[in-house]
Amino acid sequence: MKSAAQNFRLSAALRFAAATALGAVALVSASAHAGTVSTEPEESTVNSIPAPKPSWFFVQRGFVLPGTAIYDSATGKYVAQIETATLGDLAIDPNGKYYYSAETHWTRRIHGTRQDYISVYDSTTLKFEGDIDIPGRILVGGREHNFIVSDDGKTGYIYNFSPVSSVNIVDFAKRKFVKSFELPGCADLILNPGVGLAALCSDGSLAAIDLTGGKVDITRTDPFFSATTDPIFDNVQYDKAKGQVVMMSYTGLVYTAKLGAKPTVGAPFSLQEAAGLRKAEAKPLDLNWYPGGGQPTALHRASGHLFVLMHAGEYWTHKDGASEIWDVDLAARKVVKRIAVEGHPTVLNVTQEASPKLIVVAEGEGQGAGSGFAGTAQVIDPATGEIKHSIKDAGSGLVQLAN
Amino acid sequence: MKLFNADGLGEKVLRRFAGGTSRRGMLARIGVALVAAPVFPLLPVSRAEAAKPDRSPESKTVFARNAQTTDDTKCDYWRYCAIDGSLCTCSGGGIHSCPPGAEPSPVSWVGTCINPDDGKAYLIAYRDCCGKSFANKCNCDGSDRETQLYTQQLNNDIIWCFGTKSMEYHCSTAVMVGAA
Repeated sequence: MKSAAQNFRLSAALRFAAATALGAVALVSASAHAGTVSTEPEESTVNSIPAPKPSWFFVQRGFVLPGTAIYDSATGKYVAQIETATLGDLAIDPNGKYYYSAETHWTRRIHGTRQDYISVYDSTTLKFEGDIDIPGRILVGGREHNFIVSDDGKTGYIYNFSPVSSVNIVDFAKRKFVKSFELPGCADLILNPGVGLAALCSDGSLAAIDLTGGKVDITRTDPFFSATTDPIFDNVQYDKAKGQVVMMSYTGLVYTAKLGAKPTVGAPFSLQEAAGLRKAEAKPLDLNWYPGGGQPTALHRASGHLFVLMHAGEYWTHKDGASEIWDVDLAARKVVKRIAVEGHPTVLNVTQEASPKLIVVAEGEGQGAGSGFAGTAQVIDPATGEIKHSIKDAGSGLVQLAN
Repeated sequence: MKLFNADGLGEKVLRRFAGGTSRRGMLARIGVALVAAPVFPLLPVSRAEAAKPDRSPESKTVFARNAQTTDDTKCDYWRYCAIDGSLCTCSGGGIHSCPPGAEPSPVSWVGTCINPDDGKAYLIAYRDCCGKSFANKCNCDGSDRETQLYTQQLNNDIIWCFGTKSMEYHCSTAVMVGAA
């Protein structure tokens, strides 16, 4: 009498023989159909990608997932991942040669010595080229204006909050930290051509930061908004060609400021009134349409159209996801189109192509709001509202563009 | 119950700074703190009091009108009107206690929340618990009177693990400071 173990070995041997025979038949059959199969040994290779294209968009994976995913809005296809950290900030070289990742780590994972630095990656191989130590950076993520690069690509500016507010300057050509300066009461770094930087301040003003001399000279405009009653969203829109910045407040006031040594801020207009509705109030119990999300506005610079994530609700719901995107003609001060969107996206950007495409991202489902799981990205044609591509598990953080 | 002591907290923070800096560096830091008064995280207490928040029924946000006072593991618990993060009450901690192995941040962002039982407004300090990986349990994102990075003390996106051994964020508490 065979033991159970012998029975198992026999049946296993039979199964193996049968599987091998079937496999051989399948291989012959496949070979017969596919022609010749090369049996030359293959080598492992590494792909490369083109320099960043105007149709590409860069999605931070989210609060709990490292990496920034590159997608092509023309095809909806995934291109590659840039190695960024959680709570990191990505900046893209305007010349298209490098990606810069500002990040923070500790020598022993979550304890030990804190290290803040900029990692440099070649834009076509995505290979790590080196890093630049900096004295610190704010840990927050989800902002476009904590790490910016000068228009010539030579200088990087990194915002730090320790909790003293300051700015670090990095020379990308020499790959060296240059200096830091204190920026009390202000944040959200904006390029200010010919001057240095600009920033939003807690007294409701815009600071001009003159970096042209040896001494950093910071001056402020008169206050023009309330930083506590009707704040301006951090992710403001910088337009190099016009030398201006476009800003959106919680109630939907649209401000435009001309940059320079002494910035000038124009009179704002109400987004709701621009849509033929009642102006929104900065108090609860006023049901209206409000802008909301982490990255609620996007500017198509050539046409002067501002796109805004909007939701119906009350005041102090400025983090809520959108049910519509409003298309604002800034010159005419009119909302010219309202596009319905699904999934309550909180992040928006627009490609700068002649026929732009909107990119929206909604956070994925997790353990409640802010869990930071990757959600769905949608590519939308602003002319028709048609969803051109829908990409699951794309990310939940910022959407950035190369130009 | 341990009461909030602004002087004691200030002393604690300054001692931490003093322990790692020279006297000249210390003076420089105090100078920076004075210059940077709008962003120094102890000052929101006095700033918030000076602001005299509107306590009228009309001032109640949609959060305040729907808040409850019995379950602090839910996002609609009244103190969470401006919290952002993982609730420590769901991850081995409490409303003002960090989970084992985590360290409370001595500084924080603040919110003004209305208790529906008495209709009064209270100042709440959202102190992060730090030094452990993100708990990722019961994540909430309250936004009452929450602002942007240029008013840091009222922004809840920032990792507020300052003055702790590690800045790794674990979860958030909602500590009663006092009547607003």
